[in-house]
Amino acid sequence: MGFILEGLAKAVNLLASGDAETFSAVWATLLATGQAMAAALVLGLPLGFALGYFPFPGKRLCRLGFDTLMAFPTVVIGLLVYALLSRQGPLGGLNLLFTVPGMSLGLAVLALPMVVSLTASAVEQLDPRLRLALLTLGADTRQMLLSTLWEARHGVLAGTLAAFGRVVSEVGIAMMVGGNIKWHTRTITTAIALETGKGEFAMGLALGLVLLAMALTVNVVLALLRRRTGP
Amino acid sequence: MSEIYHISGLEHSHGGRLVLNVESLTVSGGEIAGITGPNGSGKSTLMAVMAFLLKPDLGRVRFLGRAVDFAEPSLRRQAVLLPQDPCLLRRTVWGNVSYGLSVRGLKDEGLVRRAMDMVGLDPQRFAKRWWWELSGGEIRRVGLAARLALSPEALLLDEPTANLDPESARLVRLAILAEVSGQQSAAVVISHDQQWLESFVTALYRLDPDQGLKTLY
Repeated sequence: MGFILEGLAKAVNLLASGDAETFSAVWATLLATGQAMAAALVLGLPLGFALGYFPFPGKRLCRLGFDTLMAFPTVVIGLLVYALLSRQGPLGGLNLLFTVPGMSLGLAVLALPMVVSLTASAVEQLDPRLRLALLTLGADTRQMLLSTLWEARHGVLAGTLAAFGRVVSEVGIAMMVGGNIKWHTRTITTAIALETGKGEFAMGLALGLVLLAMALTVNVVLALLRRRTGP
Repeated sequence: MSEIYHISGLEHSHGGRLVLNVESLTVSGGEIAGITGPNGSGKSTLMAVMAFLLKPDLGRVRFLGRAVDFAEPSLRRQAVLLPQDPCLLRRTVWGNVSYGLSVRGLKDEGLVRRAMDMVGLDPQRFAKRWWWELSGGEIRRVGLAARLALSPEALLLDEPTANLDPESARLVRLAILAEVSGQQSAAVVISHDQQWLESFVTALYRLDPDQGLKTLY
């Protein structure tokens, strides 16, 4: 127990003193997670909405596909994105391997099926009478779609949170595609794995605390948002 | 009195079964038409046609003197339907009552307050309540207030007093009367409660699956 408390004290000290190496990993995590979530939401929200809202042939198969992708092993995603971005890969010319944007791409691939699938579920679970309510109140097509998405906001938010939780805590993709390069693509999770392996328990713990604080902040902000827009 | 609806030769089938048969129906401005009839007689289908939500298989529908194009969505803003089992949006009472105005690009707090008052919902007490904090009767009244706020040319109400206590039913009746007397608009009200309809409608019809629409008075 003693070494945990000692590590905790050192961790607080590292954070309070603004240790550059620690904050470099925090920054890389924020950047990669932010970019990945932005890309996953921009693509995933309309896709998930369309999947949940419109009837079309092959819809069930599509749902099954995205649901399966949600459970895709992250190391396999890392491997595939690595292969795509490597010099011999089809996107090798972009020189994204071992960069933060490359890592963001891998994490976006991880988040996208979750955003799509959980948005589709949220839309499918809406009251079937909603369409008639919006029509009779005079909503045009665009207003119908936006209002329907607004009605599904809590489910969409839950899906976004779940995807964020998975992206921010991901090690495999960050390690394989990012390369865990110090001052560059080393994220909180890859740094924790490395520092703990090296016996640098305090550094690992400090980064773990930051990760917890980040998750807590995002959850608190979204909970406040949820309160403002109806329980 | 200006003509709001003129319907003739209306027929609609569903699954090979004739579900609506209306030879002729005219509703003029200032008029409140009551329609009664057994379950499955096509009352709600007729309402869907009058709200331009359903294009009938056969027949002509004229609205405000013009043949109706069912593909024209803007018409739906002039004939507003309160469905039999209305669903509220996941918003506050105020958000629900003002929704129709906001999609029309209007922001008029006075209209929202007036509509809430008309159905007996005190804006002070109810405006900030969420959809899940309301009873079945209050949900129905919020649904009605959301339609009244729009002051449409035609107000179409499908069983507006189902699950309402007598006092609320009285308020609904007064709200319909106020809505129609104040302007050149009309209301069509479906109810199983013929006695309640007789207490305020200007014309009463009975819809039967076999005999179609019959004028009672």
